[in-house]
Amino acid sequence: MKLELRAVTKHFGSLAANKNVNLVVEPGQIHCLLGENGAGKSTLMNVLYGMISPDSGQLLINDEVVSIRDPKDAVTHKIGMVHQHFMLIPVFTVAENIILGSEPVKPWPFIDHQSATERIVALAKEYNFDIDPSATIENLPIGTQQRVEILKALSHNAEILILDEPTAVLTPQEADALMIVMRTLKAQGKSIIFITHKLKEVLEIADVITVMRLGEVVGTTTPAETNEAALATMMVGRDVSLVVEKPPAHTGDVTLGVTDLFVQDDRGLTAVKGVSFEVRAGEILAFAGVQGNGQTELVEALTGLRRVTAGSVVLNGTELVGQSVRDVLNAGVGHVPEDRQRHGLVLSLSIADNLVLDQLDSSQYKSWWGRKLKAIVENGTRRIAEYDIRAQNEAEPLSSLSGGNQQKVVMARELSRELKVLICAQPTRGLDVGSIEFMHRQIVAIRDEGVAVVIISSELDEVIALGDRVAVLYDGIIQDIVPPTTSREDFGLLMAGSRPTVSAGSIS
Amino acid sequence: MTTDVVALEPRSSRLLQIALRVRRANMALVLLLALFVGLTVGAFMIIVTTPSLVHSWATFFSHPGATISENFNAVWFAYEQIFQGSLFDFHAMRILIDHPDKANLAIALGPISLTLQDATPLIVAGLGLAIGFRSNIFDIGGQGQVIAGGLIAGLIGFSLNLTPILQVSLELVAAMIAGALLASLAGVLKAYTGAHEVIVTMMSNYIMVLLLGYLLITNLFARPGVKDGASKAVTPTGQLPYFFSHLSSGLLVNVGFLIAFAMVFVVQWFFNRSKTGFELLMVGQNGEAARTAGINAKRTTIITLCLAGALCGLAGMLELTGVDHFLSPNFGGSYGFDAITVALLGRNRPWGVFFGAIFFGAMYAGGEAMQAFTPTNIQYSLAQVIQAVVVFCVATPALIVEIFRLTDNGRFRSTGSAGGWTK
Repeated sequence: MKLELRAVTKHFGSLAANKNVNLVVEPGQIHCLLGENGAGKSTLMNVLYGMISPDSGQLLINDEVVSIRDPKDAVTHKIGMVHQHFMLIPVFTVAENIILGSEPVKPWPFIDHQSATERIVALAKEYNFDIDPSATIENLPIGTQQRVEILKALSHNAEILILDEPTAVLTPQEADALMIVMRTLKAQGKSIIFITHKLKEVLEIADVITVMRLGEVVGTTTPAETNEAALATMMVGRDVSLVVEKPPAHTGDVTLGVTDLFVQDDRGLTAVKGVSFEVRAGEILAFAGVQGNGQTELVEALTGLRRVTAGSVVLNGTELVGQSVRDVLNAGVGHVPEDRQRHGLVLSLSIADNLVLDQLDSSQYKSWWGRKLKAIVENGTRRIAEYDIRAQNEAEPLSSLSGGNQQKVVMARELSRELKVLICAQPTRGLDVGSIEFMHRQIVAIRDEGVAVVIISSELDEVIALGDRVAVLYDGIIQDIVPPTTSREDFGLLMAGSRPTVSAGSIS
Repeated sequence: MTTDVVALEPRSSRLLQIALRVRRANMALVLLLALFVGLTVGAFMIIVTTPSLVHSWATFFSHPGATISENFNAVWFAYEQIFQGSLFDFHAMRILIDHPDKANLAIALGPISLTLQDATPLIVAGLGLAIGFRSNIFDIGGQGQVIAGGLIAGLIGFSLNLTPILQVSLELVAAMIAGALLASLAGVLKAYTGAHEVIVTMMSNYIMVLLLGYLLITNLFARPGVKDGASKAVTPTGQLPYFFSHLSSGLLVNVGFLIAFAMVFVVQWFFNRSKTGFELLMVGQNGEAARTAGINAKRTTIITLCLAGALCGLAGMLELTGVDHFLSPNFGGSYGFDAITVALLGRNRPWGVFFGAIFFGAMYAGGEAMQAFTPTNIQYSLAQVIQAVVVFCVATPALIVEIFRLTDNGRFRSTGSAGGWTK
């Protein structure tokens, strides 16, 4: 099936999210859509999938003009979409999730589970998927859940699949498996629109690459004609350094010492199972590992947000376990939370207010009479300039900022306090190349000022680039602490829970 | 996308630009149009509920002019009564200008003073509930908290006989504490057991209504020798003084309105400048982020409910010592619930609540005047219908934007329906 978008334009208020965008996807093509956050990729895909109505533009399928008003139309026109956040019901089985919305019925109102299962087994076989239709979604690994989403789209006879940042949530092994799936689909004649930030993947799998910037298509190319640096330059509009420039660490005394830490998750299951590590002043300890192996609980325990079952966290000789969040922050712990929109920011408040969110008690921003609005505004203006936060002014609500700029606000706020240790969870999740470069430089700079830094990231590239030492977390246990020079294969094995046969050289 | 429209027509006339600007949705315009819709629906209600007006339509085809003018006059007269009963009576004003004396002043300013008097408890209670709503805490217990404040203020009011300033201050503080304590119950339960504040505060209303009924037959409260459930009267030293009493004896507005007015500024300061107010806003907008920033959400929840309760308690005290002067089984009326609507109408902003309460006060006062003076005795409930329609329109600004085809930059309505695929 051939798909063509012609001159699609979409405004949000005065902002042009898509300006005159043209895109042609040929049958059996893997078409990569590349661009920074806010470049308009998601808007374009939501337009295509009928979730947003464009201001103007044409959509052609097999050279015929069609109109898609809602996702149902999109499905009718054989367009399928796998969202970044899966639209699956965790307590339902694979089969139930796939048939949801188009349930086969035997005498109404009973659902014909048997024929549904048979259909799914046949479909899975056709595309060579290894899926048990009776498994419950919440018990499946993320990679498999994603395959269920793909299968669901295929069960609606999709000819074009939109994959919105599908690899962001996967382990390297799972991402490799996805690549194989994508090739299989391509061989069957399906077209794929693949949205990603990861340049390596683009070069590996794409047939055609379209790069977007500020709502416009800036160029179309193929992997043979380009390379990572050229793509990054196209995306950002200037030369970007893809390697973190990091002088050797000058480590000082142990700042943060964690011993035998046990933490439970929300369901009361032990998620962190006896973790011990030390971080010295002026070094970065990076935690690698697939999401859901205790990272979230570890960070929350370190910052006082989650109760510790056993163990201790000592910051420069002071025990932090049992202290309130306020006291932990005041002791000199900086926290860049994993989910900035949920935990780091109040989107409806202004940039200036968000920049002092955890410093309300500071005499700098508070007097007997109330909050010092002038000081807060001045601080806002200063940080916006200092951190190059792209905003009209300090009074703008945070919700109008792009992801990268929102993260800059969080980072600016945390670094404006007197820190002894900085804990960054997924510091560059969802950010584009330019913002990643900026964040990484900030993190290295604060390390060189003598702050102990803990990075938790599911992005192996980031962990390797930033970490002076890398701890691999699997199932709530530190598998090993290894140097960042360890091979990717060994990292992959450690992250999957098995120890590499050739010792990676533990340096804990 | 008004900006674009303007930008596309750079040479368009100045008049057109003004017209475009006027059509752009803003809150004042939405409110005005909401009132217009309310009055239109009200007019329809007047016509269908008045038999003589319904009959007049039988002759519509033979004498259309007469029918329309009869209907229009009836509606106009009713609305004139609402206006004169709540704001000014132009006739009385003219008399006042010709013969400026105390009695005429009272007649001229009487309606507006009645409006302000009726609005006073709504302002204070509305502010209290708005504090809660802005931090996502739904205090539905306004009625109970108003009663709690009234009970304590009454007890102090009729059992003591101190210097006025001392006794009134004592009543005020005690009423606020009583309201706060009652609401804090819901706060503590929510913070420590997760009990939903809507349920707890709503149930506390029943408890307080029944407690009031019970206390009114005890010797402590009951007026000796009276069986109708009225309490003893607040001693003159415990009553809020009237303004302008030296000017005129007929003006109803009392010092309570000044206190309510001052509270608008206090709450304004609270949200804009105070640290607690900011924390409360933060917890309301994003509780998770507030917790991550080291804010004690439990404490904030309890404080929020205490403040909401304290203001509702104050409303009860102002009503009792300023207007009623004694407790009766239906003390407080529907103030506790109307305050919820007022907070909503004012979009939880202090000045919004203030004007919302004035609007409600005017509808109370005007509605009664309409019922009393229209020849067909148009019922007071009609004023409530108008109130309801206005509140409905204000609560759904998108509706007004749609009805009047206002241009809108996405503030009141999503831009989703604009544009589309071109064939």
